[in-house]
Amino acid sequence: MSNKLFLLPALVSAPSQNGVGRYVGQLQRVVLKFCKNNGSSRGMRDFIESGLVNFAKENPGVVVYLKPRRHRSPIIKAEYLNGDTQWMSVRNFPQEEILKWLTLLNTQAQCHNGQRLRRLWFTEHPSIQGPWTPYTFRDPSLNLVSFPIEELAQPKDLPKSSEEELLELFKKQKLQEVESKRAE
Amino acid sequence: MSLCRPTFSLLRKCIGQNLYNLRLSDSRSIKRWVSPTLRELKRRRDRIGPEPERPRSSFLEWNYEAEVYAFGKRLGEEFDKNLLKRALIQREYANKQEFAAREKGLPTPEMLHNYELIQEGSKIISKVIIDEYEKLYPQDIVKAVHEYLTTEDMLSHVGKHIGLKDLVLTNEFPVVNETLSNTFKAVVAALKQSQNLERAELFVKDFLLSQMNGKDVYEIWDPKNPYEYLMKLLNDKGISEVEPRLCNQSAVNTILANYQIGLYSNKKLLGIGWGENVEVAKETAAIDAIQRLFRNYVPKQ
Repeated sequence: MSNKLFLLPALVSAPSQNGVGRYVGQLQRVVLKFCKNNGSSRGMRDFIESGLVNFAKENPGVVVYLKPRRHRSPIIKAEYLNGDTQWMSVRNFPQEEILKWLTLLNTQAQCHNGQRLRRLWFTEHPSIQGPWTPYTFRDPSLNLVSFPIEELAQPKDLPKSSEEELLELFKKQKLQEVESKRAE
Repeated sequence: MSLCRPTFSLLRKCIGQNLYNLRLSDSRSIKRWVSPTLRELKRRRDRIGPEPERPRSSFLEWNYEAEVYAFGKRLGEEFDKNLLKRALIQREYANKQEFAAREKGLPTPEMLHNYELIQEGSKIISKVIIDEYEKLYPQDIVKAVHEYLTTEDMLSHVGKHIGLKDLVLTNEFPVVNETLSNTFKAVVAALKQSQNLERAELFVKDFLLSQMNGKDVYEIWDPKNPYEYLMKLLNDKGISEVEPRLCNQSAVNTILANYQIGLYSNKKLLGIGWGENVEVAKETAAIDAIQRLFRNYVPKQ
């Protein structure tokens, strides 16, 4: 499922302003389902024996349920405060990996399956200046002008006509003549 | 024809049997029954329709004591267990339990419910909101914000996100918003009784007032006639003369016409606003002026 066409676009979000007042872990309960004698549940059984009590002590806000069932592969079912439920197959997982996945479930806010983040940041106010209007950065000198004005109606980069260029040349020549006379 | 009928059926059986044998014997490796069986199971599943939603408490893996314990721990609060449990019991639920016990002839248990806690919690919530907003805004805005934060939708939203939905003991399923908002109030009161008022107030601030994050009070508070409201405010300040001036206009006589109007008093700009016509622009300018006036609001001592 790496193709982004199959994943729903999502934005980074915190449920119900979590963390503005205080942070509340969003995982409310987790159910570990496993088999007591099937080999695929071995890692899960090891984890329950050695790591589960620590996990429960460190996270008193998460209710942990164990559900043994015969000859089925082990799964983790996580329930979040926003109502999401996430199933995760942990077939043949070693206990270290189960702890890693449990930590992930414990720290995330919702089930992210089938989602891709559009970007890694989010803001409600992309602009602090506000939108542009025809009146922002308007030249104050225009306040005293009465329209229509010939200058403003023309394009700013109007090319010079050949007549104007000739006139300019003529003027330059005259100036030069005057200056040369002064020099004498 | 009547003679033919049994013959035909016999023949059909024979052919069917042969085909069935053929099907079994022609390939051993490809299990041809899998697909039709799954298809049939799917068809039956679809015919029954989706499974009805069940309350979480009816599941096998459910321990109410553990859930209530985790509820307090999750929020970082030390609740008195009995008080918290009482805060979660609705009056209708308690009554129903009592009737059921009486009908069975059992001794009626004294079921406590959260009715009184709801009243108390409601008062605490109102007090916190009003106290906090009175420091920053005048009475009208405080009233609007209070109304906004104490609606059933808002309180039930908060209640749902601290995990009350599965814990509430109530007759109806799915849990309605009214129950959730009432239970949130009761939880606040339970916290006050378990610890103290300060802790309960902090709880309300952290969970309810934080909902105002990123929201503008001027979007919540909406004066009906801003210009008249502004004039009233200015009269209190001793300003009676306000001059609305047309600052800018463009695209007049088109569908995108827009006007910018500034309200001036004694050559000082009070507020500026836009609109598709002069009246609307004047009103928005008045709203802007009100916001500017309230920006450096000092509460009356």
